[in-house]
Amino acid sequence: MTGAAATRVAPVLLGAGCIVWAAVPPAHSGYAGFALFLAILGVAAGVLRLALAAVPEPEESYLLSGPVRAWLKFLGTLRLVPWEEGALVAILWLEVLHPARPWHTAVLGVALIGYLLATHLAESGASPEALRPQIRVLAAGAGLLALGAGAGMIPAVGPGPGSALLRLVAAGALIAAAGLVLPYVAAPRPPSSGRGTPGRW
Amino acid sequence: MSSSTAPNERLLRVPGRELELHWRSSRHARRLLTLSVAGVFVALLARRPEFAGVAAPALLLLAAGRVQRRPARISVRLRPSQTRAFEGELVALDVRADGQADDHVRWTLHPGRDIDPGDVTAADGAQVRFTFTPERWGRRQIGTMDVVLRDRWRLAEGHLTVILPDLDCYPAPADQRTKVVLRRLPNRLGEHPARTSGDGIEFFGVREYVPGDRQRSINWPASTRRGRLQVNTFAAERSQDVVLLADATSDVGEPGSSALDLALRGAAAAARAYLEGRDRVGVITYQWGGVSWLGPGLGRRQLYRIIDSLLASNAGYARGASFRRLPRAALPPGALVVVFSPLLDQRFVEALRDMRERGFTLLVVDVLNAEPPVRWRREDRLAKRIWQMEQEAIRFSLRELGVPVVHWDGVESLDLPLAAHTRRPMAARR
Repeated sequence: MTGAAATRVAPVLLGAGCIVWAAVPPAHSGYAGFALFLAILGVAAGVLRLALAAVPEPEESYLLSGPVRAWLKFLGTLRLVPWEEGALVAILWLEVLHPARPWHTAVLGVALIGYLLATHLAESGASPEALRPQIRVLAAGAGLLALGAGAGMIPAVGPGPGSALLRLVAAGALIAAAGLVLPYVAAPRPPSSGRGTPGRW
Repeated sequence: MSSSTAPNERLLRVPGRELELHWRSSRHARRLLTLSVAGVFVALLARRPEFAGVAAPALLLLAAGRVQRRPARISVRLRPSQTRAFEGELVALDVRADGQADDHVRWTLHPGRDIDPGDVTAADGAQVRFTFTPERWGRRQIGTMDVVLRDRWRLAEGHLTVILPDLDCYPAPADQRTKVVLRRLPNRLGEHPARTSGDGIEFFGVREYVPGDRQRSINWPASTRRGRLQVNTFAAERSQDVVLLADATSDVGEPGSSALDLALRGAAAAARAYLEGRDRVGVITYQWGGVSWLGPGLGRRQLYRIIDSLLASNAGYARGASFRRLPRAALPPGALVVVFSPLLDQRFVEALRDMRERGFTLLVVDVLNAEPPVRWRREDRLAKRIWQMEQEAIRFSLRELGVPVVHWDGVESLDLPLAAHTRRPMAARR
């Protein structure tokens, strides 16, 4: 499979994988069916939008026939609605309907980030090399993801205000850690380092 | 389209233009924000810290993108390979951005009307080359160029739009190799063999030797037969004045092959053919608001002057245009007048009759290739039949006056309809 084809297929596979991962085993409460429908719709429409991204819209739409006008309306709607965002929310909704399973959720998080990056690459036409500067940040993110999963694994000593507070502190610590690690991770490299994307001029 | 890393020296000489960028979040950033907000929200509501972990990579990426420095302005250089082109000619447009630091630059060409950008309209890189083809004559706007800068993290996009310069698109000259030559040519050096002897290269006849004749022109076989020295004589070579008359009052037919398109392409072809034959060529455009003219002249530069004059033609209703008021410089006596017209304007036809009666030699190239739409009603068919008969009557009346009318469809070479008049010199009947 060529690189371009892989870039186009990756969002489909990752999106479908995320839905399956979050939906199995099927939940029967909290509008699970509706969330599943939204997730499938979002991923499918997002993939369709990427597939039809190159279809041009005529500048003059004054004397167009009904079917062509309807097609253009469909294209406009497809390009306007944030389908992927809807799919993300629906997938998280599906996951939260299940009882706590921290490592399962962590894998879903990795797949969701992969889905977003794949969608971005397919959308912008960039090669996966464009993600090279983000590797360190993504690695740090994966570490924080594991940390979050680990925090979720802290045995709950029975429901109560103590355990709830503990988990909230864990979440806050996670966000604070992210804020602390940022200045080191995201600092731009000096041009003389010889790494990264070379300057063209 | 091509992307290049080698600096284009000619492009570097073009002054750059500082343009302001409008930065906003990319769709990728909005999606990451949705994931992070949803993850944190669920973590807090459901008290499940693993969802905060799901939000963490997205939050990190977003925050990393925020600390990047983004240029507020960049310098853009644009240079089309030419400012004038013929229809269908490939034109290159070099673009270059400076001051974008490490940001990724994407160029998207939005072509203007009657500009064919080819297959590729978008390219990446600091310096790229687009190619396009103007499809129809006229002053064309190449279009607009959207420039998008993306930061290292692809989270923010800086947008700007550049309006591309105009391009003068000349009508593509039709194919014409042969020329109509008048029988009586003015006494001016040229390339057409005249009906008098002179210093040309085409054999004219044999006469008796007189002292002063060049020895190398003695025709020895004829001298042997007649017993006296005979010399060859050659035809004089003269040039002629040609005035191209373009009728821009009516523009009927499909855009791209309308009567005006064909008239301009035919006139451009005729101008090129006659100027290559060292004739003096001028042009008169019968158009909206009257008549514009360019006096006959010589040389390649005259070709571009003629086409520039034709480009200024504007299809419309000509108010009271008359060839009587044209100065002698625009319509010299004895000139060959080649007319490109659909012959739809009755006043233009009257003007042709008037010119013929004043003694000009005219040749009309009929460029009408459209008919009124066919309908099923009997009245419509009758009206169309009357219209066709009127058109035939106009052409017949011109032929009766001694004005040959040939039809050109715009596809075949102009040599074919003109063949009957290019075989032998054209006589000016009075």
